Amino acid sequence: MKLTAALAGLTFALSATLATAEGLPDLAGREVVVVTENAYPPLQFLDASGAAVGWEYDAVAEIAKRLNLVVSYQNSSWDAMIPAVSGGQYDMGMTGITIRDDRKEQVDFSDPYMRSEMVMLVRGDESRFSDAASFAANADLLMAAQPGTTPFYVGVYEVLDGNEANPRIKMFETFGAGVEALKAGDVDLVLTDGTAGAGYVAASNGGLKIVGDKLGAEDFGFIFPKGSDLVAPINAAIAALKADGTIEALNQKWFLDYKMGQ
Amino acid sequence: MAGPGNEPGPFGMTRAHPPGSDFPWWLGLLAALGVWLFYQVWASAIYAQVMATLAKGIWITLLVTVLAFALACGLGLGLALASQSRLLVVRQMARFYVEVVRGVPIIVLLLYVAFAATPALVEAWNWLTGPFGLEPMRGRDFSLLVRAIIALTIAYSAFLAEVFRAGLVSVDAGQIEAAEALGLNGWQRFRHIVFPQAFRTILPPLGNDFVAMVKDSSLVSVLGVADITQLGKVTAAGNFRYFETYNVVALIYLTMTITLSLGLRRLEARLRAKGKR
Repeated sequence: MKLTAALAGLTFALSATLATAEGLPDLAGREVVVVTENAYPPLQFLDASGAAVGWEYDAVAEIAKRLNLVVSYQNSSWDAMIPAVSGGQYDMGMTGITIRDDRKEQVDFSDPYMRSEMVMLVRGDESRFSDAASFAANADLLMAAQPGTTPFYVGVYEVLDGNEANPRIKMFETFGAGVEALKAGDVDLVLTDGTAGAGYVAASNGGLKIVGDKLGAEDFGFIFPKGSDLVAPINAAIAALKADGTIEALNQKWFLDYKMGQ
Repeated sequence: MAGPGNEPGPFGMTRAHPPGSDFPWWLGLLAALGVWLFYQVWASAIYAQVMATLAKGIWITLLVTVLAFALACGLGLGLALASQSRLLVVRQMARFYVEVVRGVPIIVLLLYVAFAATPALVEAWNWLTGPFGLEPMRGRDFSLLVRAIIALTIAYSAFLAEVFRAGLVSVDAGQIEAAEALGLNGWQRFRHIVFPQAFRTILPPLGNDFVAMVKDSSLVSVLGVADITQLGKVTAAGNFRYFETYNVVALIYLTMTITLSLGLRRLEARLRAKGKR
């Protein structure tokens, strides 16, 4: 056990001086445990056959190929993910995590690999408001959000008045529960990123629609335990994927071609 | 039937209908509902897809339930015996454990075991064994599944300790005195005299707690353990169909809990009949 570890360390030291054709480091088959929840389509989700697929799986597979990593996947809930990665239980977390300063106290982030914009998801028969300003102007209107998530912060700072305790924001534990509350009429607005929003609209038979302009721009990054030596090589790989159009191809595949909720 | 002391109470309550005396119409209704849902699973593509995905979670739910319950039974029995100990310290320690654990919601216990207690224990272990040159233990050697089972074991051990204690107390003191007079030692008294009689008192509440454990095992989904509930959550996030998905989730749990309840009632009835002989 010790011997193989020593050998692996030696190979690693040797190969660190080598480099692939693109100038990316060769990590010599290093094992990386990646954690995700599979609850954020189309980044990672279960398809109709129950297989875990998505943009991030494809991107990480490509990164692993280029850096010569051996990736295995584990699941945890979103609530558990940052503490688990921070505590070193996993080498890396991927689940569309917005790069935020307060989270940087717990974990290290990669460079951004995606920019997400929010859309306003409303009931199909909604006529009282048509954009963020008209929503904010009518004090009767309520929105649903998961505390501590990107839609929550966009709702507070870009739609409402910057008060995180605003009673017009109703908290839900899961994103889906917020959408059910929207359908049931308990709230009038849910913010979501464009793809998931389109998926909900498609699956709703006219019960839901999207109004207004896109809001908020959030950058997503992978997370690592503090001080992880994976951050630099993975950043290099992300840069390579951006440069050669791989990211663009993944966006086309998962955000435009793939039909969610059908 | 009307007479003094036999007036119907609220909702027409009388003592004339002991449980089990009615024809189980509720079971018929439930079976009809189950047949309808199973028909949906068979006939509708969405239900079928959801069922195929959630089926993978049934094993995790069963594993968590059976393992945590078995461990909790062992720990609970130990606590019950400790609460009857001759030593004050042992009695009080058992009491302390039961009161603390019973007073904390299981979901809090889960998060606490997963993210506070486990890392602390790993650190303590490494600090203790470090000087002896042992390889340091890593937090990741304890999967979230293991942590979830540990947390449920701790939570249920406190409930079960009370069930076992009630059972032990219910055995008549004269029985134990008689066993002592016959020269049986402590273990023999427990094994041959106390436990067989206590078991009959213990079985119904034990069965209830087992059925409750099937349902409470769903709490492990907060850690992301891929049980039926977590797979339901994840499936609904991907197919955007909450109604259909949670119908299947409920169907699977109900099938398990009702089957178990009916089986346990059978077993209790058989034990009662045996006891009367």
